[in-house]
Amino acid sequence: MGLYIVRRLWHSVIVVFGVIVITFLIARVMGDPVALLLPPDASKEQRIAMTHELGLDKPLYVQLAVYVGQVVRGDFGKSFRYNQPVLRLVLEKFPATLYLTIVATIISIMISLPLGVISAVRRGTITDRIGMGLAVLGQSIPNFWAGIMLILLFAVKFRLFPPSGYAGWNAVILPAFTLALFFAAATARLTRSNVLDELDADYVRYARLKGVPERTVLLRHVIRNAFISILNMVALQFGLLLGGAVITEFIFSWPGIGRLSIDAIYGRDFPVVQATVIITASCFILINLFVDVVYMATDPRVKRG
Amino acid sequence: MKKGFLVVLVGMALLFACSLGYASKDEVVVCQGAEVNSLDPARHNSVTDENYAVQVFDSLYFFDANGIPQPRLALSHKVINDTTWEFKLRKGVKFHDGTVLTAKDVKFSIDRMIDPQVKALFGTFYSTIKEVTVVDDYTVRIITKSPDPILLNRLSLSGWILPADLVQKQGAETFFQKPIGTGPFKFVSWSRNDRMILEANQNYWGGAPKFKRLVIRPVPEIAARVAELQTGNADVISSVPPFLLGKLKEMPNVTVQPVLSGRTIFVYINTYGQDALKNKKVRQALNYAIDRKSIIDSILSGAGVPNAVAITKYHFGFDPTLKPYTYDPAKAKKLLAEAGYPNGFKVEFLSPSGRYVMDKEIAEAVAKMLNAIGVQTEFKVMEWGTLVQIYSGKKLKDLGFIGWGNTLSDADGTYGPYFGSAESPFSYYTTPALADKLNKARTTMDKKKRLAMYKQIQAEIFDEAPLIFLYQQVDNYVTSKELKGFQARGDEFLLFYKVSK
Amino acid sequence: MAGKNSTDNETRKAEQKIKFRMLIRRIPKIPAAIILLLFISSVSAQWIAPHDPTAQTLLDALKPPVWLKGGSASYILGTDALGRDVLSRIIYGSRVSVIVGFAGVLLSAFVGTLLGMIAGYSGGKIDSVIMRFTDMMLSMPYILIAMAIIAAIGPSLTNIIIALALCNWVGYTRIIRFESMKLSTAEFVDMAVISGSGRFRNLFVHILPNVLNTVLVLATLDVGKMIIFEAALSFLGLGVQPPTVTWGGLCADGRSNLSFGWWIATFPGIAIVMTCLAGNLIGDWLRDELDPRHQLRT
Repeated sequence: MGLYIVRRLWHSVIVVFGVIVITFLIARVMGDPVALLLPPDASKEQRIAMTHELGLDKPLYVQLAVYVGQVVRGDFGKSFRYNQPVLRLVLEKFPATLYLTIVATIISIMISLPLGVISAVRRGTITDRIGMGLAVLGQSIPNFWAGIMLILLFAVKFRLFPPSGYAGWNAVILPAFTLALFFAAATARLTRSNVLDELDADYVRYARLKGVPERTVLLRHVIRNAFISILNMVALQFGLLLGGAVITEFIFSWPGIGRLSIDAIYGRDFPVVQATVIITASCFILINLFVDVVYMATDPRVKRG
Repeated sequence: MKKGFLVVLVGMALLFACSLGYASKDEVVVCQGAEVNSLDPARHNSVTDENYAVQVFDSLYFFDANGIPQPRLALSHKVINDTTWEFKLRKGVKFHDGTVLTAKDVKFSIDRMIDPQVKALFGTFYSTIKEVTVVDDYTVRIITKSPDPILLNRLSLSGWILPADLVQKQGAETFFQKPIGTGPFKFVSWSRNDRMILEANQNYWGGAPKFKRLVIRPVPEIAARVAELQTGNADVISSVPPFLLGKLKEMPNVTVQPVLSGRTIFVYINTYGQDALKNKKVRQALNYAIDRKSIIDSILSGAGVPNAVAITKYHFGFDPTLKPYTYDPAKAKKLLAEAGYPNGFKVEFLSPSGRYVMDKEIAEAVAKMLNAIGVQTEFKVMEWGTLVQIYSGKKLKDLGFIGWGNTLSDADGTYGPYFGSAESPFSYYTTPALADKLNKARTTMDKKKRLAMYKQIQAEIFDEAPLIFLYQQVDNYVTSKELKGFQARGDEFLLFYKVSK
Repeated sequence: MAGKNSTDNETRKAEQKIKFRMLIRRIPKIPAAIILLLFISSVSAQWIAPHDPTAQTLLDALKPPVWLKGGSASYILGTDALGRDVLSRIIYGSRVSVIVGFAGVLLSAFVGTLLGMIAGYSGGKIDSVIMRFTDMMLSMPYILIAMAIIAAIGPSLTNIIIALALCNWVGYTRIIRFESMKLSTAEFVDMAVISGSGRFRNLFVHILPNVLNTVLVLATLDVGKMIIFEAALSFLGLGVQPPTVTWGGLCADGRSNLSFGWWIATFPGIAIVMTCLAGNLIGDWLRDELDPRHQLRT
């Protein structure tokens, strides 16, 4: 067990390092930020001076080495546009995204678990078909369309929520639903699949043969066992949601790291792009590591895989 | 237990009601399409940034609604000789912390704009200034390197006066976390991408604003911005696409204010590329091929005015007697034949997407019109970040769609970068003679002489047609009916110190 | 009974042919019809579309669909702000959707399956390297990566397919690796190794045909995902650019007008949803068909 943790930790370190290098390279090929930073009237001398100031005139491998060295020490550099330390910027905006993601995950679980379980239990019936139909629908609707529709319906027509922004406790509801849409749908289908697997298992058949009431079978055994794989799924999604809030944050003017990264990509603000990707990826890796360890510890059936 | 529950319920209801966020009578909420980059004017490079600065700071001069610099912190100016200007400062102006504005603050602020250590992004506009001297507490002299007839315009652009002592004591980084100026609003707080909160300055030298709080919010999604206005959460929204205006005008609690913009839209012609584009007749043909009126009517829903020479009435030097190229495809074809291209030729035409109002749609229409006279257009739409690198890196092949705003309110603000010198990053056409003329006009102090020079230059540029001139934008600002006194401006500045609800 | 582990290739191939024919007969009708409609529309767009998709007519701008007040029979699904016919644009848009959907899936499936097979079959160091690389790609937020890639190389159709594939191949690798690992210990592979055939030959002759089922299921489920992804990129301004028409682009362009011209973005959205639904239903059906346990149940 201990050996497993050490091995996984070592893997995680390699992966994070790889992410740092890949992100650096992808950011750098995005083009030249100087043309976007300076007003169009700026002279050639000004452009050359700024390129030098940003350290962009050095060869690529030198820049990479410098960057990796900085990151390892916790320094993600300064934003080209805002002239502020990037780490501080990202940490300032992280709570907003975290808040949105947590609420979205809760909504997602509240919708998808019951939907998935009921569909599995009533497999093949009209309830199952409707449930899974809704799930597929949720995965197929472009989420920006859904987001704007939610604004038009619930903010403008029914005045129940603010159309955008961060103020007020109910401002998170519409963006959270938009974010949760796809993931609730995906989780519902996976839940159904997992519960079906459990329902087919031998011990369930045995319990039924013994005459244990269906509800007890369901609650005490099936759901509890499916729960672990569902937990795995939820953790995975949480990590994905952190990086997937980009469109939702844009539509709802939500001041999180998704907004920050979109502006950074349009503005070719490399340090910010790199930092958001690296930090989000690291969170994802950590969450996975944690879940894997818990999984290993609680479910002895799992082997290397 | 029950009482506690009731309290919680009432509390939640109150919170709910508060959060519905109706902008109250004491508060004006503005929703823009973009966010301020930084609270430090040295890091400003767009009018979005400046729309924060103009609330918190003042400058010596500032443009009025017609683009003419008017005295603000300066009472008057005197031109002592071609390169020396003397300014008398307004007395009794106080910064938000109570300290009095004096000449040393002016010297410090302008020095900062030209300081190579500070590297102000708008610093290029101040490069004509050699030095600033303090004559006495309320008199300042600015000495320019060569005669600079538009010094007042430069001072009106990002020439914000900072409190010298405070900035030097705290250091710029700390100071700009809670900046202090002499402007009509005091800075309260800013959360990036969320909102900026400003509070009325009751001691403002120009008269206290008529409401208590100004909130500036960046809302990038158009549908959300309009929704904010519809729900009463916002009082002013900018950058509304023309196709929504019809419906917005019908709404009872909404006012639409159109204003002629200083921004013009046109198409670059790379005269350093293929031979066809080096020929004046070809370029004129391209101009005759465009039906500007139909583009404005159908794609912009009327929100535009055909433009002759890439500058507008807001630019000093503008010649209103020049009429735009007419729509004459027959003449265009004839000119092409005369130039030796009876069967047309091929061009690559680049366009941004979402950078200017309906840009890619208009560019597509222009491409079709060019095709109609035989110029086979390869039409490519690109994201602005990629396109601006092509433009400023002199990598444009043939044609490129672009717009130009109104920074200096002077003809040189447009013609300088475009035709002033071959090295200028955004220049795709020039001749030594033209560059010479522009240089002369840039350094002639006599207004009448300058006007005459620019009249001649414009006639030449119109005839040479180095751009496909298209139109002048009409901006539409949408406000709630409650808002009184809001005057939309052609330079995209949003001013609030005369506004009430 | 000659089953999946039969070492007699001839018999297995004949059986598979019969199974395939029976499979086609059982395919769910409506989803298949939708996919067929999609193909027909994309191939014959210029003949079945009532209008030129890029023709702008001021007078007919913002006309609602024919069944609403103000609608007209010549614009069945209404027009957009520039007077362009929504139905024609959807029909032409199906072309790119087909290409993006299928090419994107093909490319991601190819890359992902190849890496998965190599990882699962080889084990050891190669497996480790591929797995770590997969973890890297999986942990990076795919939208940002796609945006950055397209910002770098430009939003042409080919580039978008490449970017989509680059972000999506990881979905195949893990699963295919798992399957390949199981297969690499199967009897018939052992026999092949003993009889001396090379490692790579083994990979393609023995492993690949047996993972193809899984790949097929995953790929079918992915088609809709690709189209949605392209829609997201169009929303961000980095999708396929005009004058090429795509469903994602239509949806994105029309989104500012959802309050006054809901049909402009909604009908393309419905087209996307129908295609995704069809893809998913067929994928689910395929998975059930190819699942060995399913055989037991029926």
